[in-house]
Amino acid sequence: MSVTDTIAPAADEAPARRHWLAALMRDPAAALAITVFLLIALAAILAPWLAPHDPAESTRNMMLPPAWAERGSAEFPLGTDGQGRDILSRLLHGTRLTLLIGLVAVVLGGGIGSLLGLLAAFYSRLDPWIMRTADVMLSFPAILLGLALVAVMGAGVTPVILALAVATIPDSARIARSVAVGVMKQEFVEAGRALGLPDRMLFTRYLLRNCISSIMIFMSLRFGQVILLGSALSFLGLGARPPASELGMMASQGRDFMLFAPHIAIIPSLAIFVIVLTANVAGDALRDVLDPRMRS
Amino acid sequence: MTTRKTLGLATAASILALSGAWANEINIAREMDANNYDPHKTTALAAAEILFMLGDTLVSIEPDMQTLSPALATSWEVSADGLTYTFKLRDDVKFCDGRPMTAEDVVYSFNRWLDPATASPVKWRAGEVESITAPDATTVVYKLKAPFSELLYQLTQSFATVIDRNQVEALGQDFGIQGMNGTGPYCWESWNPRDRLTMTKHAGYAWGPAFYENKGEAQIDRLVWQVVPEENTRTIALMTDQTQITQYIPYIALEQMKVAPNLNVVQSDSAFWTYFIGFKIDHPSVADPAVRRAINMAIDQDALARDQFFGGVQGARSYISFETKDWDPSVEAELPKYDPAAANALLDEAGWVAGPDGIRVKDGVRLAPIGYFFTGSTWQKLSEYTQAELRKIGVDLQVEIFDATVAWGKMATQEFDAFGMSYPYVSAGDALNLYFPSTNIPTPNRMNWKDPETDQWLSEGKAALDDATRAGAYSKVLHKVHDANVWLPLIHEPRTIVSSKRLAPIVPHSNYGAALYKGLDLKLVE
Repeated sequence: MSVTDTIAPAADEAPARRHWLAALMRDPAAALAITVFLLIALAAILAPWLAPHDPAESTRNMMLPPAWAERGSAEFPLGTDGQGRDILSRLLHGTRLTLLIGLVAVVLGGGIGSLLGLLAAFYSRLDPWIMRTADVMLSFPAILLGLALVAVMGAGVTPVILALAVATIPDSARIARSVAVGVMKQEFVEAGRALGLPDRMLFTRYLLRNCISSIMIFMSLRFGQVILLGSALSFLGLGARPPASELGMMASQGRDFMLFAPHIAIIPSLAIFVIVLTANVAGDALRDVLDPRMRS
Repeated sequence: MTTRKTLGLATAASILALSGAWANEINIAREMDANNYDPHKTTALAAAEILFMLGDTLVSIEPDMQTLSPALATSWEVSADGLTYTFKLRDDVKFCDGRPMTAEDVVYSFNRWLDPATASPVKWRAGEVESITAPDATTVVYKLKAPFSELLYQLTQSFATVIDRNQVEALGQDFGIQGMNGTGPYCWESWNPRDRLTMTKHAGYAWGPAFYENKGEAQIDRLVWQVVPEENTRTIALMTDQTQITQYIPYIALEQMKVAPNLNVVQSDSAFWTYFIGFKIDHPSVADPAVRRAINMAIDQDALARDQFFGGVQGARSYISFETKDWDPSVEAELPKYDPAAANALLDEAGWVAGPDGIRVKDGVRLAPIGYFFTGSTWQKLSEYTQAELRKIGVDLQVEIFDATVAWGKMATQEFDAFGMSYPYVSAGDALNLYFPSTNIPTPNRMNWKDPETDQWLSEGKAALDDATRAGAYSKVLHKVHDANVWLPLIHEPRTIVSSKRLAPIVPHSNYGAALYKGLDLKLVE
């Protein structure tokens, strides 16, 4: 993805905003994806109130199938897992943790990476240092990084967030730099310089505001990838600690029962699928309406 | 023969070869590989499985895990003071490379085991040795500094396998990696780590343990030990005859396996492998004996065995199974029984008060012991089950999981309060001398169990010259450590073998968990 648009600095954006929201909802696929994603996010936020059971409480009803299947029970709408815990409750709480991990990692990694990318474009002296470091980081797979962090810190949510954030930094630095380099060549930046504006103002008012939409688009697209990567790390047993639930971890635990009670693995895997799909479609749609070159 | 005919025959032959239909070869699936196959440098079950087949020991043990049986030694004598063991060896034993085995090879093997340069982690299993000598080609004299009543049982383990000096010297650091020339019923062919180890029949082998029906050489030409880490894949491989035998079967699949028309399932009657959670008895929270007793009363091991392992294992309330040599049945009556209400009452009485989140607190200490566990589905089931049950009595077990590559190092520290572990044993003395001597702190005595009486009784047991004295000494230790609830025993795991009906059913052996043991009874029935 290469996004190198420029928008004139500091215009009144209210009509434009209304325009892109409307454009977004005009695309049925995007509208559906955004609605589904928002519903999932809402359910995750309300998990403690929506969940019918304590997600950590084990009953003696191991491996019950979903309510609609034979032997299913209305008490456990999506059935129970190998420890007899309610899958629906674990799914709601697990989605909450999964989304939280993804959000924190993207904001943290994307924030740091973008700042570095903008700095690289703004101060050309820093450029080679920052970008070569980013290149080195790019060559290091996130899974390996996660394994290394967990070996040092022990399994848990924090090392996974750190690993995902670190994995996001180089990509976002590259994107932010590529956008910012284009902006830096614009005449209004030259004009700002000529007027003697301080660096701080040039950086925030001229550079950051012109790059922010591209950075946001990148982060929204990256969100799906981070969720997937985070679930993969949890699947390997590096993420949340029991009895907490996390979608990747739930899928991993269900793997043992794949031949006999496949719903234990399939339900959380489907949830990951839907979250990643809707996040990606929504991110794509957002790019389509926000990227001036794609507006036609 | 025309070219076309030749081609046709060649094609047919290669199809047959690919399907393995005519090859007298079987594939054995297992969960993991060993780090190496040097008997003195590994404690892995995966290594023992291979070493029992590649090599032989002086003494063997029957499947009942009580009766000793002659192997390379036809007979042995123990001096009245228990210090000198004289073994008479067979004179017809040959290594896989054809060289005859003599008493010198036995002496070399044992001395290498004891040599500080070998740095064997299992050196203690050989006892405190004064000297090991070979007065003639078929006699070995094993002299001890102090009596060691466990010695003959220890000599049945894979660590006491007779190895080939020439090969050790030729391969150096690569011994047990590039080869392991033994006297066993099978010979090393090749090893591709974490993939497969292949062995072929040892032609002319005729010195197997007496309890095997087959007194001659192995009945299978070639064994391929295939590593299949994922349990569902192993299950499917068995059902589709890609593998013919395994002892690593998920318990959830056992019922299906039992009714499958092409499979045999045989389980050993007794278990000599126990899973437990140990407590650091000098750490706050679990230092209180009432807490450890309450924890032991909060877990219904029979329900655990039934619900999580589908009845494929036995619920464990003792640290060794009741069938173990020198187990004292009088301990059984004193073991804590499942009673969560009484466990709650016990904690109330001990001053542990439930906080707003239901977790108990006393003098500012939260009852939230940190537990270290291995990754993998067995410990996942055990730790999460225990965690959920303990919450019901206000104990918040913190489950921290580590990959085996770091877990052993982590579990050698003092940074946790509880740890999950499993272990094989041949006798009470074997188990107790591993975990409870104060000299074994910090590992394997991770509980920091430092008790002069225990040390004294363990020494008495080791030095005992007769069965009654030895059993009496170990009985005192068994009473004491069970009474202190130093562990929370979880399950005893019998050996289960699932095999193709193309093979004759095999009774699993329990020696160090290596269910196929010497593999002399492996045979195709078709």
